[in-house]
Amino acid sequence: MREERRIRIFYTVGAAAMSAFCLLPVAYMVLVAASSRPDVLSAEASVRLTARHFLEVLGTGSLHFPEYVVNSILVSGLSAALAVALAAPAAYAITRLELPGRMSFLFLVLAVSMFPPVSLVSYLFRMMSALGWINTYAALVLPYTAWVLPLSLWILTSHFSRIPRDLDRAALLDGCGRLAALRKVMVPVAAPGILSTAILAFIFAFNEFLFALLLTTGRNARTIPVGIALFEGLHGEIPWGMIMAAATLAVVPVVLLVLLFQRGIVAGLTRGAVRE
Amino acid sequence: MMLTFQGISKTFVSERGAVPAVRGVDLTVHEGELFVLLGPSGCGKSTVLSLAAGLLKPSSGEIRFDGELVAAPRKKVFVSPRERNVAMVFQSYALYPHLDVFGNIAFPLRVAKVKEESIAAEVARAASMLGIGELLRARPGELSGGQRQRVAIARAIVRKPRLFLLDEPLSNLDAALRAATRTELKRLQRELAVTTLYVTHDQTEAMTLGDRVALMRDGRVLQVGTPRELYESPRTPFAGSFIGPAPMNFLDAGVFEEEGRLHLRIGEEKIALSPGKAGEVRRLATGRVLLGLRPEHVRISGDPGPPALRGIVVSAENLGRERLVSVETAGGILAVLTDGEAPNEGDVVGLALPIETASVFRAEDGE
Ligand SMILES: Nc1ncnc2c1ncn2[C@@H]1O[C@H](COP(=O)(O)OP(=O)(O)OP(=O)(O)O)[C@@H](O)[C@H]1O
Ligand SMILES: [Mg+2]
Repeated sequence: MREERRIRIFYTVGAAAMSAFCLLPVAYMVLVAASSRPDVLSAEASVRLTARHFLEVLGTGSLHFPEYVVNSILVSGLSAALAVALAAPAAYAITRLELPGRMSFLFLVLAVSMFPPVSLVSYLFRMMSALGWINTYAALVLPYTAWVLPLSLWILTSHFSRIPRDLDRAALLDGCGRLAALRKVMVPVAAPGILSTAILAFIFAFNEFLFALLLTTGRNARTIPVGIALFEGLHGEIPWGMIMAAATLAVVPVVLLVLLFQRGIVAGLTRGAVRE
Repeated sequence: MMLTFQGISKTFVSERGAVPAVRGVDLTVHEGELFVLLGPSGCGKSTVLSLAAGLLKPSSGEIRFDGELVAAPRKKVFVSPRERNVAMVFQSYALYPHLDVFGNIAFPLRVAKVKEESIAAEVARAASMLGIGELLRARPGELSGGQRQRVAIARAIVRKPRLFLLDEPLSNLDAALRAATRTELKRLQRELAVTTLYVTHDQTEAMTLGDRVALMRDGRVLQVGTPRELYESPRTPFAGSFIGPAPMNFLDAGVFEEEGRLHLRIGEEKIALSPGKAGEVRRLATGRVLLGLRPEHVRISGDPGPPALRGIVVSAENLGRERLVSVETAGGILAVLTDGEAPNEGDVVGLALPIETASVFRAEDGE
């Protein structure tokens, strides 16, 4: 009994500390965005609340913020979808086919993902220029997909390897080819894992800054992180209020996405598939 | 359909090196037959099923369906599971957790693009055959083990396969349900008349279900025959101890000739052999044999006439209807299955040896 209570107290305190640590910057961001005289470094920052910064960010045509939001969502969404669509068959092959050296392949993929993006960016810029893709979605979607692919592959491989082998064998005997078994059995059964992988890939792409900065030159494909960084105040001062308001707004799509799919990410979907 | 395995071997290559799971298996399963593969855990039974299904490629040998090659590595022939029209009930059931019972049973029909109206009718037919008509809207996760197993069978029979493969389908059911389902499976198989390969490590299941049984060990088939043949004339001591309600007793016996008749010597006891048995022993051409006696054939009696052994009762276990009595004799400990009055521990008893029904093996074959 006492043991149990001690554990509960530790658990609560730990969770509270962790949440505070993570949420404090977010709270600060929202506070600055909503304060009427924001000055991030000043202790006398006003605490009178206002919606002015939010309205400015959304309403000022020259900022193009709504366009950046659309760009970000499309670029990240496409990258995540593409990465998962490529990673799923790869993970199936790695976990289910008798391929020689499949473990070495996985580690090779991991090694590739360890290249610092900075080392690639100048070459990437020249390539995209040569293709005439600068300032298009393709210029971002392609590198983002490549960038999140190793991560997606690793996560999906681990999800697929937890699905009982007999399940897709049953599908093969029931008349499916390999691809049909993947589509009709593996993907639906691994749906929670696939959704969380896609969301993770989305968030990675959504927050990416370096490629987006160099591969976009105008508002056609510019994403939120770059857009915000390029905000300029009227008289050269840093417009903290608007920056924080934009950052706050940028969180909304991600939060909505997670809330929307939370119902899909229910654990225990394989319950009853095989006897334990 | 007739299934033939010809010199089939399968070696897995894994981290622990080459694992020969199946070694040179020859089998013929006749049209409409219920053929049982029986053997201890790890002897390669599931591997044989996977080879028949096409989930594994043999390392060597040939597999034929009705004489037609479906797998022959030498000739580079391999027919995929999809094209074999084989149905399997997995050791693990392998139900699709994202589909309800209807969806599970309908799955093979949907893959085959059967029209929805006929799917509904076929699923209803298969479900009612197995008494799960009420469960069509349930998810596998909500079902009991017995119900899941029925769903797995329904999914297998819904599309009239050429070959039906069952991998220990009853091993997860309780004793009562197992016995009931066993009878039902047998009836179902007769009714559908589909050639069936059934895997089990339970000899009772093999004896009650099988038209014929193949006894496997270490990737090899040791003996094929009807349950009765396997029970009455086991070809190896292993077959004798694996098949039957209780493991066979083995007695070391010397062979010698006296007054023109062949005799066995067990301890101090001399036993004269009938001409039939003598012929059997002669054919082994050996001076020492292993005498296999079934516990249910040995009788305890106060004053048995020969051939008999005397011994001390070391334990007596009550098995319900019968009692298992262990008796220490000059030839070693003998188990006796009796439904009569059991003696007490420490009693000296006489054992009547059923030499006529006993099996004889070369002494070298007992390990
Ligand atoms: N994919 C594999 N890789 C390596 N070895 C394997 C593989 N599958 C099976 N084996 C080995 O092959 C042998 C036979 O396995 P199999 O599953 O056919 O046995 P089984 O008779 O079905 O046993 P059980 O009654 O326990 O199911 C075992 O030694 C097993 O470890
Ligand atoms: Mg097995």
